[in-house]
Amino acid sequence: MIPGLHVHQLHKRYGSIAALADVSLTVREGEVLGLIGPNGAGKTTLFECIAGVLPADSGTVMVKDQPVPGPDRGSHLFFMPDGIAPWASQTVRWALDFTVGFFGGDAARLAGVIERLHIEPLMRRRVGTLSKGERKRVLLAIAMLTPQPLMMADEPFDGLDLRQSREVGTALREHAAAGRTVFLSIHQIADAERVCDRFVLLSAGRVCGEGTLDELTALARARLAVDDAGRRQGADPNGLEEVVLALT
Amino acid sequence: MRSPSGPFTWLLRKEWRELMASRSWWVMLLLIGPLVGMAFISAVRTYGELSGVNGTVAGVGEAFSPLIGIWAPTFSACELAAAFLLPFVAIRLVSGDRQSGALKLELQHPMPAMARMSAKAIVLLAAWIIASLPPLLGIVLWRLYGGTTYAPELTAVFAGHVLNAGLTVALACATAAVTDHPSTAAILTLGVTVGTWILNFAAAVHGGLWDRAAGYTPTAMVAEFQHGLVRLDAVLVACTLIALGCGLGATWMRLGVPVRRRVGESLLAGVTALVAIVVFARVSVSWDLSEARANSFSRPDETALARVRGPLRIDVHLAAEDPRRVDLEQRALSKLRRIRPDIQVRYTAATSIGLFEQTAEHYGEIWYELPDRKVISRATTADGVLASIYEVAGLSPPATAEEDVFRGHPLAAEPKGAAALFYAIWPAAVGAAAFWNRRRDS
Repeated sequence: MIPGLHVHQLHKRYGSIAALADVSLTVREGEVLGLIGPNGAGKTTLFECIAGVLPADSGTVMVKDQPVPGPDRGSHLFFMPDGIAPWASQTVRWALDFTVGFFGGDAARLAGVIERLHIEPLMRRRVGTLSKGERKRVLLAIAMLTPQPLMMADEPFDGLDLRQSREVGTALREHAAAGRTVFLSIHQIADAERVCDRFVLLSAGRVCGEGTLDELTALARARLAVDDAGRRQGADPNGLEEVVLALT
Repeated sequence: MRSPSGPFTWLLRKEWRELMASRSWWVMLLLIGPLVGMAFISAVRTYGELSGVNGTVAGVGEAFSPLIGIWAPTFSACELAAAFLLPFVAIRLVSGDRQSGALKLELQHPMPAMARMSAKAIVLLAAWIIASLPPLLGIVLWRLYGGTTYAPELTAVFAGHVLNAGLTVALACATAAVTDHPSTAAILTLGVTVGTWILNFAAAVHGGLWDRAAGYTPTAMVAEFQHGLVRLDAVLVACTLIALGCGLGATWMRLGVPVRRRVGESLLAGVTALVAIVVFARVSVSWDLSEARANSFSRPDETALARVRGPLRIDVHLAAEDPRRVDLEQRALSKLRRIRPDIQVRYTAATSIGLFEQTAEHYGEIWYELPDRKVISRATTADGVLASIYEVAGLSPPATAEEDVFRGHPLAAEPKGAAALFYAIWPAAVGAAAFWNRRRDS
């Protein structure tokens, strides 16, 4: 696959705390990439730095091998933060219309996105009055209506119940299948395993692994194999959850 | 709903809708009616009482100018609203995006930050023009009472308040963008407003450069516009400050730009604005748009003063807080500077109040000097100053034509219907509009 976006040696400090240290990763065109890590790992900071809404201390973000400065990244990617309530006094219908009009999205996709994320009953409600789960679906709809080739979403399953998580997961897979690259920050491992093609593991601001589940499993096995006493520690990791525990 | 409009049009629509959804906007709109109404009713009553004594002889006619008697106090209510209500509307519009997270989304559109700030400024300006409806209703009422209006002076008053609102909006936008929280922005904005009052106070005490700087505070600027005086330097300085405020707002809106760079850009903008202000402050063009020519000498006097040869130097031996000095400045020197920007005025006093200098040698004297002559006088009235200048210049005072005397427009009218309009109809209309706006989208 051709690399769609490459993050190279990104650093970000908050005072004496290193939020991101030497973070490098690649987002391939057309894939669903999951950024996995425990709370406080730096996932949101990494997404904000990549999107250019938070200044990184150093490092570059490249698209097709060309460095793209922060203010220009909006031409290549769209980032949907977690926990926001944009245009809270406006109706959902207007927020979606604004997204299409302001960002130049495809109006023809509007009906499909509304149907896929089941937000028709919310259209006349104000964004600020929605529950956490309802708002999350609306935010995802906004992200899916934007025209940039890469869509990044921070915690897209947060606040959703099991059924909604599965439906949203399916919607995101379909969205990627329609030709858009999707990069998700997820802390629910089961959701990540179901939706993503590849994973980037982040812990304490550092990338601990990047690859498919098989590649990360092999990496975890290799880490276990080289334990200081020369013995294998614990059982072989089985599934993304154990891989994450082994690598982070 | 969807249309082929460009992103900037969408942004304008969004800002407008956010304004309409803002409680602070509706509160300002609600309050400005009774505020203006109280000022208007009181002004019309006082004007009517004074007009009832038929005191329209030459010399007191200025007192019966609607500009001073009606429009200055009526529009003063707008000054209050601009200082204490408008900042909250502006801060809500700027900080709201940051608080809700909308800014993080909108910043991902490759639109220049200044365009984003312009959209907010345009909407806020439109909001202020709507909020200026009550004084405009006052004008309609005044005409219905049989009062006269003079369009140029009304335009000057209105323009002064729009500029004042522009300054408030720019300041509030800058503080809202720089700070993380709306309450901090509000405190900063009000702090700057209070700071300009302190500057005015310092100017009254110390004079000199303080006085020069205080001439560009919103209060001083509005006061001149309310008297029909439009000074180009004040307009240019105000526009520079508005541009600076909007520029700072735009700079600090860019969350993705490192803070150090934003600080650097802000300093550069500040220095550039300062240089521009220093240059603009040297401009001496002004227009007296008042019907009563309240800021000018009579035309024959102006013609005669223009003929005075050489740089006229005036040494004033009066303390900054001496009422005679205030009289001299307002009644004579400010008018003189408009005709002869080359006059050099120097104030000499040992103290700021002058109370204990009264018996000091030369205190109270005003020296008029041309290269070859010198005249000393103690008069602080316009006529006294003119007489001294003609004497030092060796000119005969010109004859004043009868048609040059402003006779005023007395009107003994009661403010009929004003209370109902401003205290009942306006609040009801605003309430109905707010309710309709709320219902429209739901």
